[in-house]
Amino acid sequence: MNIAQQIADGISVSGILLLIALGLGITFGVMKVINMAHGELIMIGAYTSYVISTLADLPFIVAMAAAFVVTAIVGALMEVLIIRRLYGRPLETLLATFGISIILQQLVRIIFGPAGKSVSNPFNGALNIGSVYIPYLRLFIVGFAIMLVLITAYVLFRTKFGMLVRTVSQNRSMSDCLGINTPRIDMLTFAFGAGLTGIAGAVLAPLKNVAPTMGMDYLIDSFMTVVLGGVGSLLGTSLGSIVMGEANQLLTVFGGETGAKIIVFLLVIIVIRYKPEGLFKIERR
Amino acid sequence: MRRVATNNAFGVLLVLFLALFPMFSSDFRLELMGKFIVFIIFAIAMDLVWGYAGLLSLGHAVFFGLGGYMLAISYSLQNGVPSFMTRFDITEIPTLMKPLQSIPAALLIGLILPSILAGIIGFFIFKSKVSGVYFSLITLALAKLFEMLVVNLQMYTGGFNGLMGLPRFPIFGEPMSLTAYYYMVLIITVLVYLFARWLTNSHFGKILKSIRENESRISFFSYNASNYKIFIFIISGFLSGLAGMLYVPINGFFSPLDVGLNMSTMVILWLAIGGRGTLMGAAVGTLIINWMSNLLSEQYPELWQLFIGVIIVMVVLFFPDGIYGTLKNRFGTYFDSLLNRKIDENMEMEMEKRDYANNLS
Repeated sequence: MNIAQQIADGISVSGILLLIALGLGITFGVMKVINMAHGELIMIGAYTSYVISTLADLPFIVAMAAAFVVTAIVGALMEVLIIRRLYGRPLETLLATFGISIILQQLVRIIFGPAGKSVSNPFNGALNIGSVYIPYLRLFIVGFAIMLVLITAYVLFRTKFGMLVRTVSQNRSMSDCLGINTPRIDMLTFAFGAGLTGIAGAVLAPLKNVAPTMGMDYLIDSFMTVVLGGVGSLLGTSLGSIVMGEANQLLTVFGGETGAKIIVFLLVIIVIRYKPEGLFKIERR
Repeated sequence: MRRVATNNAFGVLLVLFLALFPMFSSDFRLELMGKFIVFIIFAIAMDLVWGYAGLLSLGHAVFFGLGGYMLAISYSLQNGVPSFMTRFDITEIPTLMKPLQSIPAALLIGLILPSILAGIIGFFIFKSKVSGVYFSLITLALAKLFEMLVVNLQMYTGGFNGLMGLPRFPIFGEPMSLTAYYYMVLIITVLVYLFARWLTNSHFGKILKSIRENESRISFFSYNASNYKIFIFIISGFLSGLAGMLYVPINGFFSPLDVGLNMSTMVILWLAIGGRGTLMGAAVGTLIINWMSNLLSEQYPELWQLFIGVIIVMVVLFFPDGIYGTLKNRFGTYFDSLLNRKIDENMEMEMEKRDYANNLS
């Protein structure tokens, strides 16, 4: 097997993981909400992309923007109606969002039917460097993932909204005292995280079959990535996805794709056991 | 004491109903009911871990499936090398599977292996600072991992299709009639329930509940909380394995769906809706949800799922004690207070005295 090709494939898997984990990095990492409906947000993003780019035949970039808006609205509703009432009770939140995931899955199934849909690939062709073969779509996903991380970092660390998000996550009661409207910030943060997840779904839609049940696998992958890299750190999530993605590809020597995944999951479980704060968590103070 | 009267009355009525069920139901219904009674064991096993010790395991079907697969593989090995193995040019039964050729041995292995696995997982997780949410995430990964493992080891487990065409109702190689099997399952379930009730009412059970409420405080009282958690996890694994094995003969096939996320989330549903932290809630939730899903999912499959999702959210937001817990708190105390108001008053005075004494000391 061509090792260069493996590494290149690993990079594209890393890009996918980074995309799906980024939104979770906000909702789980910053807000500490265990969102079991994360996979369903990806699914909604993918369906939005299907509606816009396949049914309405609009450009792909419109689909991505629409996916952000739609899932951000869904996320805001989730936060306001349900998650807000359960702060400080992580296991209850987990259960409630699990219920939400069933509802969203079923709503989509009722609207679009249980059969999978496919979204046409906006980037045909592939890049050939020597013997290494990378489809343009995957190249775009990696580039887009990096861009999205940079945008998120900018929003979190260079804007007033980002400053408020970090303030509230560090000390909620103090922020309240300083006159920050914390419930509003919570809603916006969750909507932002959900929106990022939706974009991920839209971008990944051409790659895989768009179906109501597509969320579950993404859910586990994204949680593993966020936890591996370190909860609450953008850099950690990025590095975590690179490690997961490369490991997923390079370990295929042992028993194919599923075998590699089994080994990676085992490794992640061991990492959580010994370093629950994640591999790349930088200790501040 | 005051809760015991309603609990007992309700439990006796439920068992009586289940025991009389074969007399007025068709074979088809009886088979379904048998399945659901097996699920009660699984729900009780989950309740011990989640409802009593406060550990939400998202991958409890791993133990259920492990027990079930042991018996299912054993059944498949009865007539020589099964077809899913010969397809991969395996002409001899693998050495590791040799013990499974005997059904009694498989029954034993199906109980011991899940317990050992639960012990290993429990030791691995609870002897560390991993807690709460991370425990749930690890078990979630485990469930997915086992599902993939079973699908991947196609030559030994039958892969994605699972093990089909298993003989119905033989326990020690001898076939049983449906009704006999039903009663056997019912008796085992009642025994499991009594055992679990004894366990949760014992000193051990009280410590479990205090671990759920405040782990650091119980640690200050020099109880080793992690050992208690490991122990209850092992018991739960054992009971889940038992449920998995009882499920195989009545279902007739066993597939990766029974070992992974699907089954794990199902049991959480039953418990959350029925009422976790009470054993009767586990039984009630399992029976109600399964019957309703069976009746409604044929006519309105889509709306039924939607309904389940809405119910879960509602239960979490407004009825955290579930159906049984809420009803019991609302009405149970009322009935009990009619029955033993005298005793209650005496007890409360006792309690007040004791509280006062505690405060002084």
